[in-house]
This record gives sequence, structure tokens and C-alpha cells, in this order.
Amino acid sequence: MERIGHTPLVELKSFSTKNVRYFAKLEWHNPFGSVKDRAAYWMIKDAERRGILKKGKSIIIEPTSGNTGIALTGIATSLGYRVEIVIPEKVSDETKNILRHLGATLHETSDDLCPRVGAGTDQSIALAKAISKPRPDIYYMPNQYENDANFLAHYESTGPEIWEQTDGAVTHFVTGCGTGGTITGTAKYLKEKNRNVHVIAVQAQKNHLLQGLRNFEESLMPELFKRRENVVDEWMTATNKDSFDSVKQLAEKENMLVGPSSGSVMTSMLKKGETLESGVVVGIFADDGRKFRSLYVKEGVMSEQEYDSALSNAKHMSQLAYSL
Amino acid sequence: MSASPTKSIDVRGLYCPEPVFRTKMEIERLKIGDTLKVVADDPESEEDISRWVSRNGHELVSLNKTDKDLEFVIKKAK
Repeated sequence: MERIGHTPLVELKSFSTKNVRYFAKLEWHNPFGSVKDRAAYWMIKDAERRGILKKGKSIIIEPTSGNTGIALTGIATSLGYRVEIVIPEKVSDETKNILRHLGATLHETSDDLCPRVGAGTDQSIALAKAISKPRPDIYYMPNQYENDANFLAHYESTGPEIWEQTDGAVTHFVTGCGTGGTITGTAKYLKEKNRNVHVIAVQAQKNHLLQGLRNFEESLMPELFKRRENVVDEWMTATNKDSFDSVKQLAEKENMLVGPSSGSVMTSMLKKGETLESGVVVGIFADDGRKFRSLYVKEGVMSEQEYDSALSNAKHMSQLAYSL
Repeated sequence: MSASPTKSIDVRGLYCPEPVFRTKMEIERLKIGDTLKVVADDPESEEDISRWVSRNGHELVSLNKTDKDLEFVIKKAK
């Protein structure tokens, strides 16, 4: 657990200019491979502190598009809890396989289960709540969409790290948004240190393939995000195409194999950077490309050979706490 | 005279969307032509389960309403 956080901040030198510098925080360096390790750990520790979780008895159930499930399963099972993950059917096969391999029971939702809620993870949230609500003696749902421990994880770790790693020079902070934990926690900290830090929220296009992000017209804005939405200075919307183009560019120019949402952040960082006279632009790269081979091949981002070559040439890869 | 359903599930006391979810899981496990009986008590289930059945191309063989409960018989069509 000591490996959680303290992830590298790397300059994207092929994109930086003399006056505008781009930095990516490589969150796949967390033990279970994504930024969600932080939220998962903070939420579990918070529940333990409050006496809610009982080892050997409690089942942790959570709706998730993937990374939170992986983080929660990995961390919770190593601490002695059983885990059930409620996940949209359309999540990548690699993600589902990892979850099963780590010991989670999966419940897969389709978009047509409940006509009164939105698509994707909104269905998963509804089902996870429905399963846990009548069985409170057994089930605990951390509920990353409402749990302030998610926000605190970033306020207490991600924000301070970025501040230190840039020596306080960060001018623009860019991240994708799903639950809103990363953006609200990190931005709150950064703005406390320097109220002029410009915070950019990146949402997905409607009907997207950008695992982890949300579009806030087709899906609800989570309570966690609504609480502190005012930290956002600017909204950008990332399309599948632009995000995948950036994934390709990062592989070619930086030898980095990133996940789709990192491509979304890269696109947005560049769009903003083009308008600036100067700046230190920091983006969160939430996960790497290791779970996305089938997606990238299917969507024509890379051929199988190009993917395999990008993977073997990839710099800045990390040692995961599990094997794929 | 109708034959007994291949499988029966009781989703009374469960909250939306668990009744539809359980229905879906059981239908997926059945063979084409098999029937599933679902006993529900949430009034919203009437519309939710019926809609799910027709959207997914299965047949709603019957829907019986008693005082408190709803009894669906669904035939797996594809």
C-alpha cells in the first residue's frame, strides 16, 4: 500500500515549446495500474475507521467502469474482504478478465435494465444500490460517486504531489472527469496554493468509448462532483476520434502507450496550450494502454502489430501488483 | 393447460433494477423455448419487465396480477 501515489510527472518533450510546457502525471504507476488506487484505498480506510467493514464477513460492492473495480478488488481482497463489481457490458474484455483474476464476482449491466436512469455506469450504480440496500449487514457500497473519501484522496495526495513536482509552477491543470474525484480534490488543493491555477474539465462525447470518462448530458453529474463543481474554470469535450489520434501520437512521438482517457486529456492539453503565450500545463494520464489492445485494434487506432510494437517499445511502464 | 415453467424466480422485495437484472440473467441461462416464471411485487416491474422482454425479442406468455404480486411467464425466443 506504500506504493500508492507518488507517481511520476513526466514532461512531454516532443510537444513542449519554449514557452508552453506539457507534463503528464503517470497514474498507471499505482500498484493496480490507475489513478483509482488512490480513491479505493482512501474509501476502504475510511470505512474501516468508521467500523463499517468486518473482515471475513463484509462484501464490498461497487459500480464501476473498470479501474475502480480493479483497484478496490486488488486492495480489498489483500485486506481480507470479498468484492462484487457491477460493470457495464461494454467495458473491455481485458478489464473484466483482470477483475475476475483478482477475485471479484462480476454483475454486468446493459443499458435497458432501468428506463428511469441513464446509460452506462448509471445502470451499474442503480443495480449496485439495489443489491446492497436490502442487505446492509453484509454489503458495503463505497459509492465512489458520492463518497467524500474519493475527493480527499486527491486533495491529500494528487494535489500536493503536483504542486511539489512542479515547484509550484503549474498554471493549468487538465483531467478527465468521471466521478469528479480527481478534478475536485486536486483542483481544490492547487487553487488553495495559487488561486490563478486554471482548471480544465474534460468530458467525453456522447456515446463514447473513453473508459472512465462521462458525458454529462447522457449521464448524471455525480453528487461528489456537484458539491465542488465551481473548481472548474473551463469545460472541454473529447471525441473518440481526437482521443484515439492522441493515443497514436503519444505512442509515435513519446513512446508512451496510454489508455483512451489519457488521449482525451492530451488532446485537451494541446488545444489549450495553442491559445497560451506561456504556461506549465499538467494533465492526468489515468491509465496506460495495456487493457486496450482489443479496443484499439477494433477501432482502427492501431493494427495488432502496431500495438504489440508500441507495447514493447513503451517507456515509463510500471510493474503492476498483478500479472495480466 | 400450460406446462410448468422451466425455471421460477422470486424477485419480491428487490429494488429496481434488480428484478429486471435477475430476469435477464435467468433468461440468458435458459435454452430457446424454455420458460421462466418471475414473481415480483414492485408495481414498476410490470412496465420494466414487460418492456425488457419485448425489447429483447422474447415472448410474454402471461402476466397475472394478484392483490400484491405480479406473475410473469416469459418464453425465451432467441
